[in-house]
Amino acid sequence: MGRYVIAVALVIAASASTARAHHAFAAEFDAKKPVKFEKAVVTKVEWTNPHSWIHVDVPMPNGMKEAWAIEAGTPNVLFRRGFTKDALKPGTVIVIDGYRAKDGSHRANGRNLTLPNGQTLFLGSSGTGAPAS
Amino acid sequence: MLIHNLMQWMADTEWSVGLHESRYAYSIVESVHVWTLCLFVGFAVFLDLRLLGLTLKRVPISQITTRILPWTKVAFVLMVISGILLFFAIPLRTYHNVFFRLKAVLLILAALNAWVFHNGGMYRRLAEWDTVAATPRAAKLAGAFSLALWVAIIFSGRMIAYNWFDCDKPEPAVVDLVAGCVR
Repeated sequence: MGRYVIAVALVIAASASTARAHHAFAAEFDAKKPVKFEKAVVTKVEWTNPHSWIHVDVPMPNGMKEAWAIEAGTPNVLFRRGFTKDALKPGTVIVIDGYRAKDGSHRANGRNLTLPNGQTLFLGSSGTGAPAS
Repeated sequence: MLIHNLMQWMADTEWSVGLHESRYAYSIVESVHVWTLCLFVGFAVFLDLRLLGLTLKRVPISQITTRILPWTKVAFVLMVISGILLFFAIPLRTYHNVFFRLKAVLLILAALNAWVFHNGGMYRRLAEWDTVAATPRAAKLAGAFSLALWVAIIFSGRMIAYNWFDCDKPEPAVVDLVAGCVR
């Protein structure tokens, strides 16, 4: 019985590590196209598995604003990095950078995020293949 | 549109939010789905390959159906439950995901294939070909269809993770149509 339980636990552990990665960086994002937004205004946060999304409005030189979606890690990953759901309320002005989506849409794979109090947090989204920061 | 609204409602339920915002539950459910999927397909392959006449040729098919099929069914039930939970965690996006839609069609085809095999005349006359290695053509077809469909189902299931064709960005008209995007 004991050996059986260990075997089951090993199988679960093995499958957990492969499922965590979920999708590879290179499938959607381009490491050669970094983007950085200095005054991004948070509009919505999808605090969700398997990847969280931070939606921001970015001011453009012409006075208009552009909506962008920045991918981040799982709720668990963000929690361990020091995020809480309340840290990113709509209206919060943040500095955020990452890598653009290959398809040219207004999406990016997030790297670092700086809160108004100066705290910088690593977003750690799809790690597999993402450039080391 | 009706289903879209139903999915939106489901996505806003406390349980769906709890699951997709969870720190552990989602990963556990996801892992259980992969694990039971391995068990299910692993068991199903025995019968499929036997029907194709490729393995266990001297073992009567009734032996495989009575001894392995019950395990296959247990794994299937766990796989379906965990799959439903994964859908329930992210219902709206999944409903509009082209790979999920492909997977749903393939699942229906796999179910039809299994139903036809187990309810067809060929299976009722199993006693006549139970022990032969060279199985009837219809049995071979059932095994081949099952194998091919499950490979395709696993592929399309894995692809659900990729948001190449999501409705929240501009897509060609054909993608909009297949994904049923509500603009």
